[in-house]
Amino acid sequence: MKRWLAVYAVAFYAFLHLPLLTLAAFSFNASRFTVWDHFSFVWYRAVFHDPQILEATWNSVVIAVWATAISTVVGTLCAYGLWKRGSRLLTGGLYLSLVTPEIVTGIALLALFQWAFRWLHWQLGIYTVILAHVAFSISYVVIVVSARLRTIGPTLEEAAMDLGANEWQAFLRVTLPALVPGIIAAALLALTVSFDDYVITSMVAGVDSETLPMVVYAMARRGASPVINAISALVTLFFGILILISEKVREA
Amino acid sequence: MKRRDLFLGLTGLPGCTRDTRPRLNVYNWSAYVAPETIPGFEAEFGVRVRYATYESNEELLAKVLSGNSGWDVVFPTHNRIGPMREYGLLAPLNHSWLPGLDNLDARFRAPEWDTGLLWGVPYMWNGTGIVYHRKIKPAPSRWADLWNGRLKGRLTMLDDPEDMLGACLKKIGYSFSATDPGELRAAEREAVAQKPLLRAYLNAEVRDQLVSGDVLAAQLWSTTAQQAIAAAPDLAFAYPAEGFPFYCDCAVILRESRRARLAHQFLDYLLRPRVSAQIVEATKTATANRAAQDLLPESVRTNPVLYPPDAIFGRGEWPRTLPPATQRLRDRIWTEIKSA
Amino acid sequence: MKLRRWFLFPAWLWMALLFFAPFVIVLAYSFLTRGPYGGVWGPWTLENYQRLFDPLYLTILMRSFAMAAAATALCLLFAFPAALFIVRATRHRNLYLQLVMLPFWTSFLVRTYAWMFLLRDTGLINTALEAAGIIHDPLPLLYNNGAVLLGLVYGYLPFMVLPIYATLERLDPSLMEAAADLGARPMAAILRVIVPLAKPGILAGSVLVFIPCLGAYLTPDLLGGGRTVLVGNLVQNQFTGARDWPFGSAVSITLMALVTVLLWVLLRRESEPLV
Repeated sequence: MKRWLAVYAVAFYAFLHLPLLTLAAFSFNASRFTVWDHFSFVWYRAVFHDPQILEATWNSVVIAVWATAISTVVGTLCAYGLWKRGSRLLTGGLYLSLVTPEIVTGIALLALFQWAFRWLHWQLGIYTVILAHVAFSISYVVIVVSARLRTIGPTLEEAAMDLGANEWQAFLRVTLPALVPGIIAAALLALTVSFDDYVITSMVAGVDSETLPMVVYAMARRGASPVINAISALVTLFFGILILISEKVREA
Repeated sequence: MKRRDLFLGLTGLPGCTRDTRPRLNVYNWSAYVAPETIPGFEAEFGVRVRYATYESNEELLAKVLSGNSGWDVVFPTHNRIGPMREYGLLAPLNHSWLPGLDNLDARFRAPEWDTGLLWGVPYMWNGTGIVYHRKIKPAPSRWADLWNGRLKGRLTMLDDPEDMLGACLKKIGYSFSATDPGELRAAEREAVAQKPLLRAYLNAEVRDQLVSGDVLAAQLWSTTAQQAIAAAPDLAFAYPAEGFPFYCDCAVILRESRRARLAHQFLDYLLRPRVSAQIVEATKTATANRAAQDLLPESVRTNPVLYPPDAIFGRGEWPRTLPPATQRLRDRIWTEIKSA
Repeated sequence: MKLRRWFLFPAWLWMALLFFAPFVIVLAYSFLTRGPYGGVWGPWTLENYQRLFDPLYLTILMRSFAMAAAATALCLLFAFPAALFIVRATRHRNLYLQLVMLPFWTSFLVRTYAWMFLLRDTGLINTALEAAGIIHDPLPLLYNNGAVLLGLVYGYLPFMVLPIYATLERLDPSLMEAAADLGARPMAAILRVIVPLAKPGILAGSVLVFIPCLGAYLTPDLLGGGRTVLVGNLVQNQFTGARDWPFGSAVSITLMALVTVLLWVLLRRESEPLV
């Protein structure tokens, strides 16, 4: 059984990683077409000398960090509150926001912002993108954290209360530490969807808020430029290192 | 990076940097300026330009329709200017701030969509035709040649309702801007008949597949086609005999802009022959600027793909803004074709 | 219980401002009329909903549901053993988990392009097969429904792995061991014991995969070459190309309503809800 699982896992990880590894391999190809020419860093130089890409990357990071931070906190608190006692209205809202196709979310938020800005003299920009990302990542966070809460069960917290802890202490000392893996998973998910999002972002982005996926999309639409390969390799590498570090920290 | 710097960086959002130079926000099609165009303007006028790009008129319109998008200068295609003007989105041009208008080609001095050049400055233009591999014998010269069963699986059409339906209309002898439902339905039947032959509906993405030989014939815009031909000499381009559309992207100033003077200065900068010529050299587009054409090398200026000779130019048609009812029928037909 | 009220406050705020308000706007749009060149105008009408009963749009809706269901089923099939593997790994469990996420830090578009790169006529798969002498003419791998399905499965696989993993991880390890080592038929043991226990995760994962697949429009456009219309493309086209916001809103509202009913039926019988 265990052997079969291991064999399957190899195939599974190959399926996940080989397409991107090949793509990354061709980022070192000197030719812009998919015929191997010779080894070259020319596309990486292009990435680091393109102010548009650099700025978009920075925007993406800022947006993803803020959106993840806000949605993880709000989502975790919400999951906990709902776990204590459900609320049909709020749960319904979470479900609905989840079942809304991205394009609809994007359009709806654009309509809202444009409507609100008639009175406020604001414009579409990085703030609207952050708000939009928070709007769609909260339900992901709530779902992941809720799954974790249910597996923990109420007994631990009840025991703590019986032993004299108040509500706040029980949450802070008992439930929250047990929730940490779920919260991390939720934050990772939120970070992924935020960093990844093209559809909604492109709708609510304005001046000063072009993100990396938007730049990649524009390039992709002009044809498969190896610069995309180089960007994808760099981003994957960066997050790979980040994950390795977090793994080491956790083991320590 | 120190943690404090990172924090400051995260909180100090780009909108509130200490740069006090005046700012101009420009939203343009991708690959439509030379690398030195924007820095050159910033240096000369001591301003900062926020430059971002879009891929379709629809993307642009979705942003600016509200009238508070934050952009100053945008570049809609000629037949979008009418609706944008009716929506009150455009600021009228002040010709006394645009001496460079004299550089425009005679064809674009009084275009049919904006005869007085009151709203937009013609920037770059292109046509839609057929790119094909030279090994196809006989070489396609008409839209009807794209209904050839021998091209099955190696043929693409544009993923654009206007161009795709337009080619079908032209094939059976109707106008590109046809409004008659009977004519449009006939064009739909042509499109559905052609669909089994198609590999896909592709826009600029088809360029690489033409170069690599995956695709042998494609409906494509002349500028994109020229990029493919430059990379693969086996390719050639034909402006179809039945007629074909021309599009002209125009620089306009949005009414919401509070930097009208600076926006005009930018438009006039783009009209300078040298600036425009640089852009053409870098992006292989066709400029509406006569004075700039004169600065271009002979090979570019007489390139029959980018600047078709007068005989061919005369067969072209500038698509008009369609009445709402027609637009609606066309949208439906487009969905039917895609769903067939 | 005071704590709960404060904890829910930000979520209520989010719901009112960033979900309910835009939703009301879309709902209102769906009863209005398209302006001459786009935009939304009076008078109020039901026409946008009547248009939906057109066989053209019904077919598109059915096709999208079938595609999303197929993608969800395939994701589940691929993800469950993977989640089981990660949970049962004695070492590097977290690393394995992160490896699932790793490809998904890159843009969704990049992942889609990776498959275009592999599947096209002069792509790696066709080139390799031709070099090996297995085929002489390139196989038409790209621009068909199979490619779209592949793209969707590849795109949303981790959304299935993570919740299943999260549930399995909380199960009693001895139970897992027992189930896996049970006699000659560990497969049956897994199906009877572990799968039912993992049901919350499976449901959560299915929802997380099904929904984006249903609304997907980039994948059918890029891998399908724009040759089929899924409901995501329909909505997207109404909001951009056709600029018929009212009809696009009506399609969206209907879509949301259908999915909500579906989820309600699905989750009503399940004692443990998602949220």
